[in-house]
Amino acid sequence: MLKFLLTRFATALPTVLGMSFVAFAIVALAPGDPVQMELRAMGVVPKPEDIAALKAEYGLDQPFFIRYGAWLWRALHLDFGTSVATGRSVISEIGLYMPATLTLALSALFGAVVISLVLGTLAIMAHRFTATGVRVLTILLVSVPSFWLALLFIHIFILNLGWARLIGDGTVYDLILPALTLSLGAGAALGRFVYERAYAEACEDYVRLAIAKGVTPVRILVCHIGPRIIGPLTTVWANALGGLLGGAVIVESIFGWPGLGQLILQAIGQRDFPVIQGYLVLMGLIFFAMSFVADIVVILADPQLRRKVSND
Amino acid sequence: MTDMPRRYTMLNRHLAPGRVGLVVGLILLGCFVALFLSRGAMGLPGPEKMDLIARLAPPSPAHPLGTDHLGRDLAARLLAAISVSLGAALTAMSMILAIALPWGGIAGLVGGRTDTVLMRLADIIMAFPTLVLALAVIGFMGASLEASIIGVAAAWWPSTARLIRSLVLSAKERDFVRAAYLSGASRQRVILRHIVPQILPPLAVIVSLETASVLLALSSLSFLGIGAQPPTPEWGAMLNEARPFFTQAPHMLIAPGVAVVLAVVTFNLIGEGMRDILDKRQAYQW
Repeated sequence: MLKFLLTRFATALPTVLGMSFVAFAIVALAPGDPVQMELRAMGVVPKPEDIAALKAEYGLDQPFFIRYGAWLWRALHLDFGTSVATGRSVISEIGLYMPATLTLALSALFGAVVISLVLGTLAIMAHRFTATGVRVLTILLVSVPSFWLALLFIHIFILNLGWARLIGDGTVYDLILPALTLSLGAGAALGRFVYERAYAEACEDYVRLAIAKGVTPVRILVCHIGPRIIGPLTTVWANALGGLLGGAVIVESIFGWPGLGQLILQAIGQRDFPVIQGYLVLMGLIFFAMSFVADIVVILADPQLRRKVSND
Repeated sequence: MTDMPRRYTMLNRHLAPGRVGLVVGLILLGCFVALFLSRGAMGLPGPEKMDLIARLAPPSPAHPLGTDHLGRDLAARLLAAISVSLGAALTAMSMILAIALPWGGIAGLVGGRTDTVLMRLADIIMAFPTLVLALAVIGFMGASLEASIIGVAAAWWPSTARLIRSLVLSAKERDFVRAAYLSGASRQRVILRHIVPQILPPLAVIVSLETASVLLALSSLSFLGIGAQPPTPEWGAMLNEARPFFTQAPHMLIAPGVAVVLAVVTFNLIGEGMRDILDKRQAYQW
């Protein structure tokens, strides 16, 4: 078991290294000279020798891979430099807003899983007309942009019904509308996947046998099809977190949820490269860790795969 | 074979929703094209013509969808945005295909070590949340419509490359492809005459569904103010401009939102409709 976990870690390492390289290369290849931009941000008209001196001080005159190594070493200590705009360290800046974004993304993920199961089961179980209705609803939900849904929700629930407030203070109550907005689209997309997997299984002979034996539809779905598709579904659910972490930026900026969305949009506006880089690396790592854990859970939860692992 | 006729009718019944969806999707696409082409003949003012006296006017005969905060005609802007929004999505989609087709195709056809290396590289990009990577690319290029197209393409291509690879792999394994190869057909002939025709229909499904999600992402980026910049008429950007006038002029929010939804529905319906028609499997009914 330990060996299995270690080999998994070992195969994941190149990907993580590659991710760090992408995050570093994006900045290194970005147009514009960071030293000149920082000097200009401080209101200094740069002289060529000043620029050269500063470049030497920051190690920017070094070859590409040496700079990458130095950057990676600092990144391993969670040091992503200081924000150009505020002068505070990137990690404290991101750490301040990260919990809110994670809370939003994870609660939206929970909502999306529930919605996907409801929509998927309805589409596969229901009568033909109801099933068509569910599929139409699914296509609609997948197609509605979250920002417009958010604006509609604000109009209906906050301005007209007064059930929620727009300027919240980050309590659970303020979480409901943004999480619902985010989870509807994701839930519908996942529901489509649940339906497809269940449909593919329903074409198999073992389902025909179960029908012939007189097993009830609910039992076929829960006891025969369910265990077969839960593994792939878990993987897809875990991967949906990536979409939700990105989608959180959109929804946060509309509902005023105090997450990373505001920070990253400001950073893009001010071309605050260290913040964008730190955001890219941390979000990538969280997403990667989630899929990694999901992978292991899927393997350990499957008796056949588990036996294979313990035999190796 | 006695149950053939019965299964055949069930097949037809099952295909019906998909076929209807495909037809509705194609009609919607035709409507978008027709509306864009006929926008000159509707007698609307120019999309950037301001009329500061008629600011935030509700729908009226002169302005069928009302005006925005600068007195620009919303209907004219909405129609002008068809080419911007759909054009951006199609540009991004062709960039994605330009990378993903050779990438996934070569990985699937060559196989072996090339396949492993290409797919590991694609996995590295896929390990980032797509929209987060797009945001980062835009951040480093500076906010513009071009940057958002490049950002979306950079984040979306690996998953498409993976799908194309799996299509090529399953096409390559078919018996008639092996038979063609064994009977001495050249590599080029096998690829062009036997593999490409197999992957084209499922590829059309993928392209259509991906276009829908790319369209959604691009309009979201424009809505956040980091895609199309004002005064470019773009549906997401129009909604962004409408936000401060949320309570005063709700009509500014309805039309662009409906336009985005309809455009995304169009591509989703076409994609799902084609997939339903291609799907020959039949679930056992209870």
